[in-house]
Amino acid sequence: MKFSISRDALLKPLNLVAGVVERRQTLPVLSNVMLVLEGSQLSLTGTDLEVELVGRVPVDEAGIDGEVTVPARKLVDICKSLPEGSDIAFSVEESKATVRSGRSRFTLSTLPAREFPSVEEGIGTQQFSLKQGQLKRLIDRTSFAMAQQDVRYYLNGMLLEIRQEQLRVVATDGHRLAMCTFPEALSGQQDTQVILPRKGVLELARLLLAENEEIGITLGSNHLRATTGEFTFTSKLVDGKFPDYERVLPRSAEKVVVGARLDLRQAFTRTAILSNEKYRGVRLKLSEDSLDIVANNPEQETAEEQVPVEYRGDGLEIGFNVSYLLDVLGVLSGETVKLSLSDPNSSALLEEAEDGDSLYVVMPMRL
Amino acid sequence: MPEDSSETPRKIIHIDMDAFFASVEQRDNPALRGKPIAVGGSAERGVVAAASYEARVFGVRSAMPSVTARRRCPQLIFVPPRFEAYRAVSRQIHDIFRRFTSVIEPLSLDEAYLDVSEDLQSVGSATRIAQLIRQQILEETGLTASAGVSYNKFIAKIASDQNKPDGLCVVRPEQGPAFVAGLPIRRFHGVGPRTAERMARLGIHTGADLRAQELELLREHFGKSADYLYRASRGIDFRPVRSERIRKSIGGERTYREDLLTDEALRSALTAIIDLVWERIERQAARGRTVTLKLKYSDFHQITRARSLPGAISGRGEFARLADELLEGVLPVPRGVRLLGLTLSGLEARTPSDAAQNVAEAPPRQAHFEF
Repeated sequence: MKFSISRDALLKPLNLVAGVVERRQTLPVLSNVMLVLEGSQLSLTGTDLEVELVGRVPVDEAGIDGEVTVPARKLVDICKSLPEGSDIAFSVEESKATVRSGRSRFTLSTLPAREFPSVEEGIGTQQFSLKQGQLKRLIDRTSFAMAQQDVRYYLNGMLLEIRQEQLRVVATDGHRLAMCTFPEALSGQQDTQVILPRKGVLELARLLLAENEEIGITLGSNHLRATTGEFTFTSKLVDGKFPDYERVLPRSAEKVVVGARLDLRQAFTRTAILSNEKYRGVRLKLSEDSLDIVANNPEQETAEEQVPVEYRGDGLEIGFNVSYLLDVLGVLSGETVKLSLSDPNSSALLEEAEDGDSLYVVMPMRL
Repeated sequence: MPEDSSETPRKIIHIDMDAFFASVEQRDNPALRGKPIAVGGSAERGVVAAASYEARVFGVRSAMPSVTARRRCPQLIFVPPRFEAYRAVSRQIHDIFRRFTSVIEPLSLDEAYLDVSEDLQSVGSATRIAQLIRQQILEETGLTASAGVSYNKFIAKIASDQNKPDGLCVVRPEQGPAFVAGLPIRRFHGVGPRTAERMARLGIHTGADLRAQELELLREHFGKSADYLYRASRGIDFRPVRSERIRKSIGGERTYREDLLTDEALRSALTAIIDLVWERIERQAARGRTVTLKLKYSDFHQITRARSLPGAISGRGEFARLADELLEGVLPVPRGVRLLGLTLSGLEARTPSDAAQNVAEAPPRQAHFEF
């Protein structure tokens, strides 16, 4: 195996692929990246057995086809520390890989490519495509609400649902829920629900850099595959049933408050400073056209904010984890935000005041 | 706005009987009425347990050595205490408290905090409840009580002292900070003569002076009490009224008419104290792991010796053995011993609810979806 490539061309896919590779692996080959040269195309593959990423890049000068695996982190560090604009000559002889650039020369250990596991492919049941920017929006709008290491393993990921030709993603950790619906219809698609695991979601989001380019999605019974010209991303799916999220969408939240998103966000950010560091509780006191936000901490320090809002109706006092509210206000866009409440024990619904594609439900905190 | 954590301010009443022991004696013995009396031993080593208001005019105070009291008020009448009578009255007033609330924290026989937020009788106002309690105490026991009504324990207690005797003082949440600001520093619970002196050197004489201090400075000078002082000076006190007081220790001691000198006399005296204290431990069903022996010499020099076990003491035998060992460790004594005492501490919380009450504030509870 032999080829040469510019450092910068190699570094881009290498960085993405190495991101999938876990630093601590039980199986030594999993800390390696697999390089496969076929003609002038170099593929780089990293995997953690749950998520696999293949990056593709043309080489400048193709020598001998072949395949090999080398330590991912070391190869990244070497390429990164070589000067920008330099060229790299890569070759494998016997069981050593050699990286040459200018007066530098590195010899890396290798493991045979046949030992490199591939994420098994099921048969793709349906395919559709959308713009990378559109997929990124769906993820960015919801992924913060995914659970982390929850025993309810099906919450440690994101629901991807097609229903009546409508694509929707939903994430929840049991305390708050985020939902974003793709505005265009996916014609001809069957109804389906899959759960993409947390790591898969976060890795996929990193890849979606070419906003206006298409990305093809293949859904299998056990896998989701996302393909562009530059990479193929494959993730196992979470084998479980996502909870019936529609049941937790508030139905009777009749106290509707409309406020300036940035004003609210800033007011919450400031009150958060003096909220209990552990529980992060803030008290919202709603009255006609005014929302008071109060926080205090165990040191008895207090923060109070008064935010003018549009509201007609009875007063209400309700507590929330301020981080949950800030997460939502951080991903919403638009000048105004709509907050719908009913009573101190019921959830709040947050959304853009007009034409939103996203819905957020936050459960209250009893302070 | 009250500076309090709960949405609606709590309603706390502190009830304190007026010159309790002395008043009971005057009630039961008409000959003592209108006269300066002191409950307690008149003997050389006695102390005043309670003084009637007539005696207080002369400067007689509780905990004062009887000798001093007699010097201040030669016509002072000493009355031996009748604890059974005081306990009976205490039961009566607790019956009255329970008509209005179940949240009662007794501080002693004649003093208690009541959280009347729940208002069992739907009286509607804490002030009115306090008036009713005082009225019913007078009708049913013939004794007067003073009450402080406020939104926390700290202020309620100071308030009950404000218009004593037979008085009532209400400090509303919005008045709290100003009320505290005007208090001389000595009125703060826990600020004794020495702390007050140290505060005076820092220019702190009133609640307002205290409030003006940075928490850091308070920590530097008053250590563990700093946070309490910082909050108290702002009229803040989150301590709940605890229906059952959590005891930190159980103990007892005896002062002897004649100093004990020989090992034999000390050993036999200790046996009596072991019996006395163990009976108290049994009554409380307490489990503790540290036994402390206290010994006061004829020159008032006091020593303590303690031993702890890894776990709770198993029974009277072990308690007695530890006490004996502690005493053997100080024998022979260099001087006569006038007082011996034993304490069991390191007590275990008896029930989970007791332990829970140690937490001053319940943590916030995040609601979750019912999937």
